[in-house]
Amino acid sequence: MTSERKIRANRANARASTGPRTIRGRTRAARNALRHALSLPVCSIPALSGEVQALAREIAGPGANAETQELARRVAEAQIDLRRVRYARHQFLSDTLSKEYYGSYANSRKKLKVLRALLRPNPPDMSLDTLEFATSTPQGPDKLATILSGEAKKLLAMDRYERRALARRKFAIRAFDAARARTATTAGKCHAGLVKACSPAHG
Amino acid sequence: MSSKSESKTEIAAVPGQVQRLAVFGPPLLLEGEDAAAYDELLARVCAAVKPADIIDEMFIADIVALEWEVLRWRRLKWTLMQETGLKALELFLVEQLESNYDALHEEHFKSYLTTILQNNLPTEQAGSAGTLAAECAPNNAEANEKLDEVLGSMGLEMNTVLDDARADKAKELAQGYVRGERDAVTLVNELLTDAGTSMDSFMTKALGDRIDKIERIDRLTAIAETRRNAALREIERRRAVLGETLRRSVREIEDDEFANGELVPELPPAEGKSAA
Repeated sequence: MTSERKIRANRANARASTGPRTIRGRTRAARNALRHALSLPVCSIPALSGEVQALAREIAGPGANAETQELARRVAEAQIDLRRVRYARHQFLSDTLSKEYYGSYANSRKKLKVLRALLRPNPPDMSLDTLEFATSTPQGPDKLATILSGEAKKLLAMDRYERRALARRKFAIRAFDAARARTATTAGKCHAGLVKACSPAHG
Repeated sequence: MSSKSESKTEIAAVPGQVQRLAVFGPPLLLEGEDAAAYDELLARVCAAVKPADIIDEMFIADIVALEWEVLRWRRLKWTLMQETGLKALELFLVEQLESNYDALHEEHFKSYLTTILQNNLPTEQAGSAGTLAAECAPNNAEANEKLDEVLGSMGLEMNTVLDDARADKAKELAQGYVRGERDAVTLVNELLTDAGTSMDSFMTKALGDRIDKIERIDRLTAIAETRRNAALREIERRRAVLGETLRRSVREIEDDEFANGELVPELPPAEGKSAA
């Protein structure tokens, strides 16, 4: 059983360990768990919400009613979100490609195993292919292919965000089109009524 | 089928639209990809689809980005397979050069050795490099002894030099084969037939060696293709909806008029026609 003295010491230590103290340190620590921020809604990012509004205005067009404006905003949100996800994926691929010595996690582990074996007092005989594998880093198209398979998990996660944004945009566009079609039909009927009312037969 | 000049004229007519598509972000190109080729693809799709509104433009931007991805992944797969196939061919050729030295490799080895000697012999002896190489090149005991001696005096090993020379010739032949050079193609095909193998078997081996990577690329290609096709379907659906709305508007107007037994004095322009 833990002694009273140990419990007191643990509590005192815990009180002393309160993480970063400066504002800068706390700000940095607050971003520790941040990966790509793709789960954040677009409207919560000030830089993007402005773009959403501008795009929504363009989609809705002049003289749009409140319903159309709201639906246009949904389309714009999904579109900006989609762009953000694609950009994040592209940035990730470009950054990884620009690393001079890229090695996937699985490959790095295999290489480490070979090197450990070689550093033993009596290293085993190894084929030339194995030695070549341990000392080489993929380049050119092979590098891109290695990144695609090595980072498949991360890329798949980003792909899920893209798929969701695409689905959101598709349904938002369908709702927007339906609303516009309704408006057009109503306007057409009004126009017909007006024509009838103004035609000479109707006096 | 439209002619090339016709499509170029169409492309030239849509630079404004292409510029407008920049609203949807810059093209996402990877290192080494051609921005001009991307712009051309965008212009072609714009010219073909003729976007009616900003939502059509969104779909066009999508289609182009996804098509670019499809092309990128296909190219990557092809390059990967070709690279591995080529490596296998080079290994095969090295073996062939080793076993058919007199017929395939002696001449090349002579010139390869001349270059090495020219680079390593003292300046006053460099002129005789060609003669010395000719003496050392034949595959017989006497020449081998001489070659060993000459290379040894320069701190080089005979086996390493021979291996390097074979690898160099194999690479040259394989590159020639890929480029479709007649001599290289004929020679490689002859060697492949004699050995009872073919380029296809090397490619199959390449596929087996890199199946994980190739499967991943195929998956990405399939995703991009599916999304591109979905965007195309959405454009079709929107056009159909718009057309149907216009038809319904016109029909309702006409029905209203004919129900009263009168002809419409002047057909009003249907709403949304400007958008079409």
